[in-house]
Amino acid sequence: MEFIHPILIKPFADMVSAPDFLVQVLWEGIVSGVLYALIALGFVLIFKSSRILNFAQGIMVVFAALTLVGLYERGVPAWLALPLTLGVMLVLAIGIERVVLRPLVNQPDIILFMATIGITMFLIGLGETIFGGENKRMITEELGIPTGNFIFEPFGGFVSIEQKDLTAVIGAVVLVVVLLLFLNKSKMGRAIRALGDDHQAALSVGISLSTIWVLVWFIAGIIALATGIVWGARAGVSFALEVIALKALPVLMLGGLESVSGAIIGGLMIGILEKVFEIYWGQPLLGGSTESWFAYVLALLVLLARPQGLFGEKIIERV
Amino acid sequence: MRLTIKTAVLATIFAAGLTAPALAQDTLKLPNMSYRTGPFAATGTPHMNGQLDYMTMLNERDGGINGVKVQFDECETGYNTEKGVECYEKMRSEGALVTQPWSTGITLQVLPRTNVDKIPMYAPGYGFSAMQDGKTFSWAFNPPTSYWDGASMIMNAISGDNLDSLKGKKIALLHLDHPYGKEPIPLLEALAAKHGFELLLVPVGMSEMQSQSAQWLQIRREKPDFVLMWGWGAMNGGAITEAVKTRYPMNQFVSIWWGAHEPDLSLVGDQAKGYRALSWNFADSDSKLMQDVKKYVVDAGKSQINQAGGEFDTTAYQRGILMSVIMAEGVRAAQDLAGTPNIDREQLRGGFENIKLDDTRLAELGATDMMAPFSTSCANHTGHAKAWMIEWDGSKFVKVTDLLTADRAEIDPLVEKAAAAYAAANQPWPINDACTD
Repeated sequence: MEFIHPILIKPFADMVSAPDFLVQVLWEGIVSGVLYALIALGFVLIFKSSRILNFAQGIMVVFAALTLVGLYERGVPAWLALPLTLGVMLVLAIGIERVVLRPLVNQPDIILFMATIGITMFLIGLGETIFGGENKRMITEELGIPTGNFIFEPFGGFVSIEQKDLTAVIGAVVLVVVLLLFLNKSKMGRAIRALGDDHQAALSVGISLSTIWVLVWFIAGIIALATGIVWGARAGVSFALEVIALKALPVLMLGGLESVSGAIIGGLMIGILEKVFEIYWGQPLLGGSTESWFAYVLALLVLLARPQGLFGEKIIERV
Repeated sequence: MRLTIKTAVLATIFAAGLTAPALAQDTLKLPNMSYRTGPFAATGTPHMNGQLDYMTMLNERDGGINGVKVQFDECETGYNTEKGVECYEKMRSEGALVTQPWSTGITLQVLPRTNVDKIPMYAPGYGFSAMQDGKTFSWAFNPPTSYWDGASMIMNAISGDNLDSLKGKKIALLHLDHPYGKEPIPLLEALAAKHGFELLLVPVGMSEMQSQSAQWLQIRREKPDFVLMWGWGAMNGGAITEAVKTRYPMNQFVSIWWGAHEPDLSLVGDQAKGYRALSWNFADSDSKLMQDVKKYVVDAGKSQINQAGGEFDTTAYQRGILMSVIMAEGVRAAQDLAGTPNIDREQLRGGFENIKLDDTRLAELGATDMMAPFSTSCANHTGHAKAWMIEWDGSKFVKVTDLLTADRAEIDPLVEKAAAAYAAANQPWPINDACTD
């Protein structure tokens, strides 16, 4: 029975004995979860409208953040660098639609997926040629993002909430709300959803495939920029940000590839659960570093019960 | 008959191609396995720029080394072990005189091949610490100092040269969850057992490098007396940022040399005051060595460095320069011993065993006080150069100690054991018994 204590009793006893620490763990989990959700959103949007799993989403985060910081380093003020970066992401979206996607219309999904790998390689090379590979400081303060800390002292302990993390969470919530309103209430948003539901039916009622693809890739670019700013503020802007795309995969498996709400809830679930598991079970019992695999195990368990993910659409195909 | 002649000609050409690598060459092929892309590019690039620029400088200023031009090609690995092995094969077949794996993971993968392919492996300041044992690792070299040397020097520094004073204390090792990050663990475990301190291992996975909140929550909960860092790439910047956020005392946070990287510290500036790193090199942009690099390479537009970003002045770039300085000294020693400037792999191996970078030579090179003197031998493939503890003052690193010394009495028995275990696990493994000193 000795093995039960560290697994079933001690973790909960630790949570009760240091509630301030638990609050900190949960907050860090929420922040991570919001960030994972942001990355997953970029994937979901593009998949919804074009059935493409966009391998390039990770590098788009790096490219957007590097463009912003690179413009600032070249003397462009922050308030101008931000819209200019958005402009670059728009040009990129148009370029991808014209050069990569349009010639591949009606090709199998795997071809389009491979094309996004090509886009990734191109953006890595372009980014390094223009901006170099070194770690750059995100222009957090210049963008007006507060960098101080809120310190609370509940239960006789302390909880530190970084203002930039709080800004990231609020910013992400606003972004998601705007996105949901856009998708559900605007004509263009409905067109994106229609295209996701049935390509041919959408085309038959006059929805322009190329316009929607440009729009969706541009929105993915905006999300990439937001993600890049938030992650870059934590540890600098470099090509290491590309790795965070790996974090989106279990979120997508958990939440479903087509669901915006699935990406958000899946991201938050993974963010919080992996942090709690790592702190109370992973570090004491397994030597730590469980965050590398925990999300995938969780997603696989969900897939066993619901192959389409928690919020994915159940697809029944006649064969 | 025509067919026979044609076959014979083709066979000769083919055979010549196969044997070419073993022959002396009219250029010195000293390729590098670089990673200018991927998550580790931020720290890899300045080192690789430094290595390349010094060799370019030798070609421009001196016409190469003893009149033979250096061919310093790069093969991109992205710090990926599988790609590293591919690069190794490519370089081997192209007649490289040396391999520079640039990752402990790649080093460990390629190490068993060195004896078979007979190509010297040069892993300056990284790789498998037991490579110091030249008797066992005839073809592998890791000057000027090893990770175990580094760990020992750090422990001596934080304990005031009295490791017993750490009894009952807790020391965390925040490390990349990768062969490199795990390299100091055997020595630290041995020291913990002997001197009675607790060693807390805190691994950081590759995908958590930029979001280390879980690791730093653990550090907050465990309250270690010191945090030692074996990080690389984006991990170091991430750790420093989290340390600031967690309010961990910076004067209790000490990194191995790769953590002495100004761009990572600039992310937090003043808030990282007191952060220390053990470094075998110290940047001196005014030195004759660096001024020559500036004159012949940077100002001549032949360098890839980010001049506007101040890369020239960074510890990492200048460490890269010194890595090539050491290699060039190995080549010179080989040329002297062979009596010819056109050396082969075996001769270069001999050169690496006869590097003598004493104070006089460092002064001649214009690198006084940029690194400590050291020499290698048949049995000593590391050199065990001393290192400084340097401290971030808010805007730059300053030396805060004299040169520190590693505790050989602790390290050498471990090396002997690890080398013997390695040889036993990789039988048949040749041991050079003639190698005594």
